[in-house]
Amino acid sequence: MRSLGFVVAATVTAVGFLFVPALILGAPLEPVMGFVQKIFYFHVPCATMLFLSTFVCAGGSVAYLFKGSEAGDRVAASAAELAVLFGLCTLVTGPLWGRKAWGVWWQWDARLTSSLLLELIMIAYLLARRYAGPAGRRLAAALALFAAIDVPLVYKSVDIWRTVHPRTTVVPTLDPRMRPAFWSAFALILLVWSLLFALRLRLEKARAELAELQLETEDLLEAAS
Amino acid sequence: MRTKIRALYLFLAAFLAGALVWLAPALAAAQEFEKVSGAAREELPAGRFVAAAYGFIWVALLIYVVSIARGLARVRADLGDLKQRLDRAGPRP
Repeated sequence: MRSLGFVVAATVTAVGFLFVPALILGAPLEPVMGFVQKIFYFHVPCATMLFLSTFVCAGGSVAYLFKGSEAGDRVAASAAELAVLFGLCTLVTGPLWGRKAWGVWWQWDARLTSSLLLELIMIAYLLARRYAGPAGRRLAAALALFAAIDVPLVYKSVDIWRTVHPRTTVVPTLDPRMRPAFWSAFALILLVWSLLFALRLRLEKARAELAELQLETEDLLEAAS
Repeated sequence: MRTKIRALYLFLAAFLAGALVWLAPALAAAQEFEKVSGAAREELPAGRFVAAAYGFIWVALLIYVVSIARGLARVRADLGDLKQRLDRAGPRP
């Protein structure tokens, strides 16, 4: 049943990859920025997935830190990778848009800097898990909490400080003719996120089970010899 | 061990606070944009930027899917090895 759900979701995603770009191309051109504004349709959903992944990672980390939940740790590790992946997509597509719209690749303004900081914290999370030894998972979990604190700062930064980045009012005040394309792209990216998360979680669970089996086998073989 | 972890947390908090202080001038500078009028506009082909952005997203997602698939294949191979070792060792006592 779970496999059937996965196949259906994967099929819908594949269809979405064909359907959504057509909707985006058919949406009206933004009068000031022109064609380059089409990046918006995937840039914003990717940034939202970065936030979602960070919150999921922080939730799992809280469960691991305060309740010792191994499942929470697996959820956190899976979400952290997705945070880095979607953060990378956001930080690459943003400057491509900015180069055309602002004339520069990068500005050290509040939104861009805090987003970069969030991405670096999530990379630090993965590095801590891999290289910080036995305490690595706990250290990484603490980092995830810092990352979650950074998310509201990233989101509200454009309203608090004067920045070159568009404000949070862009999506609510979007031209109604652009909304179908935007929300379709958003749904597609959310679906991709869900599929990747399910796959990554399955891998993490399989690794944990394998490690447990390996320990049991070592014990069995030692007892037999 | 706990003392070391606490020391690490403290170091991390101090590092983040230091980074914020270090970034403060840049944040302040961000408040000082001035409107420029009559500047020469550079004409860049938008299509290339849009294609690069979309291309990057799809390639990144594809690479990630491949990496997960390879990870799952490795786990499957390790499970096979484990089964072989158990088979060689004979039935459980």
